[in-house]
Order: sequence, then C-alpha cells, then structure tokens
Amino acid sequence: MNFPSVPPSLPMALSDLELVERARGGDPEAFRELVVRHQRRVYAVALGIVKDRDLAWDVSQEAFVRVHQHLAEFREESSFTTWLHRITARVAIDVLRKERPGRRSDVADVPEAVLQEAAPGVLATALGTNPQETMLRHELSARLTEALGELPDLHRAILVLREMDGLSYEELSLRLGIPKGTVMSRLFHARKKMQALLAGYAGIDAPGRGNAR
Amino acid sequence: MRCAGAAPLLGSLPGELDPTEAALLGAHLATCEPCRARLADIEALSGVVRDGLRDEAARRDLSIFADGVMARIPASAWQGAPAGPLERLRAFLRRHRVLAAASALAPALAALALYLYIGRTGGTGPSELSVEVTSEDLAAIVLDTSDGPVILVGDGSEGT
Repeated sequence: MNFPSVPPSLPMALSDLELVERARGGDPEAFRELVVRHQRRVYAVALGIVKDRDLAWDVSQEAFVRVHQHLAEFREESSFTTWLHRITARVAIDVLRKERPGRRSDVADVPEAVLQEAAPGVLATALGTNPQETMLRHELSARLTEALGELPDLHRAILVLREMDGLSYEELSLRLGIPKGTVMSRLFHARKKMQALLAGYAGIDAPGRGNAR
Repeated sequence: MRCAGAAPLLGSLPGELDPTEAALLGAHLATCEPCRARLADIEALSGVVRDGLRDEAARRDLSIFADGVMARIPASAWQGAPAGPLERLRAFLRRHRVLAAASALAPALAALALYLYIGRTGGTGPSELSVEVTSEDLAAIVLDTSDGPVILVGDGSEGT
C-alpha cells in the first residue's frame, strides 16, 4: 500500500477527534492525516455502491470535501468514522441516482427461480469445510466486485451499507427513503442473488433445491 | 412462523427486531434446518463482501488521493478558521453547550453562595458591602443594604 508519510508536525498518536479539532482550527495537515487514515475504507464503501472504480474515486474525494465543509457542524456524539461513512453513502447514492436517471432504483425483485437454484447452506458449507478454504475465500473476494455489478443498484447499496457499515434496517430505510419492510425484503433478495452468483463462480454444486415450508 | 416470513428476518442485528418477531424467529430456527442453513449462508456472505471490498480497495493505488482532496479545498477555507487558543476554547464551548450554560450561571451561583455566607455570619460588616463576581461577559454584584442583601446580575462589559 502506498500511504503518504505523516507530516513531521503531527504526532502519530493523535485521535480522530484531536485531528478534527486541529482541522477546525485551520490546520490542513491534520485534515490530510484524516483523509489518509480513512481513504481506503471510504473508497471500499463507495466502490461497493457505485461499482465503477473511477466513479468510486470521485465519490470518495467528494465525501471528504463535504466533510471538510461541514467540520464545524460535526457533533462528537457520534464517531468521526460513522459520520464520514454517512456522508460517503449519501454522496454515492446521489451519484447513482444522477448517473441513471432513466432507471428505477427499485428494480424488480430477484425472480423466484434464481432463489431456488442454490440450496440453503451451500456457501457456508463450502467456506467452512473446504480444506482450501482460504483459497476459495480469496477467489470469491477477487470476483466480488463483478458479482456486486450483477445486482440492481438499490439491492447493491443496501447490501454494502449493511455489511460494510452495519447500518440498521431503520437507518437504511431513512437513508434510502424506502419502508423498513422493503429494506428487509430487498436485503434478503440481494443476499440470495449474491450467494447464487458466488456459488456459481466457485463451481460449488448445489445438492438440490432449497426446502421451504 | 413459516420460512417465507422468517427468511427476511434472518441476519438481523441484535435488538433490531421487536421482541415478538425475535421470539417467533427463534422458535422457527429451533425447528427449521433449511433456515438455519440460510442464516449460515448470510454469515458466510458477510465475510466475503467485507473482505472482497477491502481487498479491492487495498489493490488501488491511493498515494495521490489525499493530494486530490486537498487541492479541491480552497486555500481561503483554511484562513477563516479559528486558530488561537481563545477561539478554540470558544469553539469548544459552542459544541459543549451544557458546559457553556454552567459557565454562564457561575456568577449567579457564586453570588448566591456569598449571600448565604453573609446571612449565616450575621452580616456584621459595613452597611453596604459590594462584591463583584465576573465570568466572561457576565457579572453579579451583591449589595448588603439596609433593606437586606440585593443581587444584581448584568453584562460585565458595562463596568458595573
């Protein structure tokens, strides 16, 4: 990884809040250190939502610029990371809406036939019992962006925000402007679709159709 | 509860479901092997999504990323920021309003304490005792007059 070195004027052990305080006081190096500290995770979240690497770069930069613009409003009741990720998600979702104006964000749910293709537990079993588990996990990780690209925009945003930022159903509902029940349903379908795609990439045989009562 | 109702609830965060939903889901999971397997899949997928995105981000060269962010922030944005210790203290108090409120009340509280003290010691001092207590822009004065103690609270900048 190519992290720029920390300027000598900044002690290494400064917390996020101390850096925020310095940045508010007009110290650009403190803000730069915040950027360097969080850029990779912000980029990961942005990439997961917008799926395009260059767009994710722009989204991540815009998120930090907005953070700087609103530093004075930051309240320390929440962590800096939580606040930063909230802004990143907002910018990424706004970009999705602008990039695809003719496309409905509430794309139709995954067809039932797709849900039935992989039997329940296939992915967990393969990752949990395969003697080359690490290799399989690595292989699946390498194709994750490709798999995410197969999901409808809203499904992808819900899945990434849930898994990367741990957003609750309520927070997802507020952030995306859809009812909580819809969030739960779409998260379920997004997961099922991803499991089926990843199982396909890994050549995992589905032993049979899923059972449902 | 049937699988169709349980499936969207799988993978909920602790405390996220209402107690009734959580109880129904728990009872369903206890007897439904396919839903337990679905839950295991959700947990496996979580790890893959997190690891995959982090790995992808780790492969991206971000060495010039911070420079790009800093270039997008106008230099004037740094010049207007409060830099001195007094300004930083004021900014701190703005963000911690409880502390600020307490500091604003300090002169009045000090005056009240002095009044109680004078009352307990019998007020044997001069017929008119004037004590000034100030904090930032506020001031309080206790006057021990022939009609009894009087507390005046006002703006310290007026030189009371």
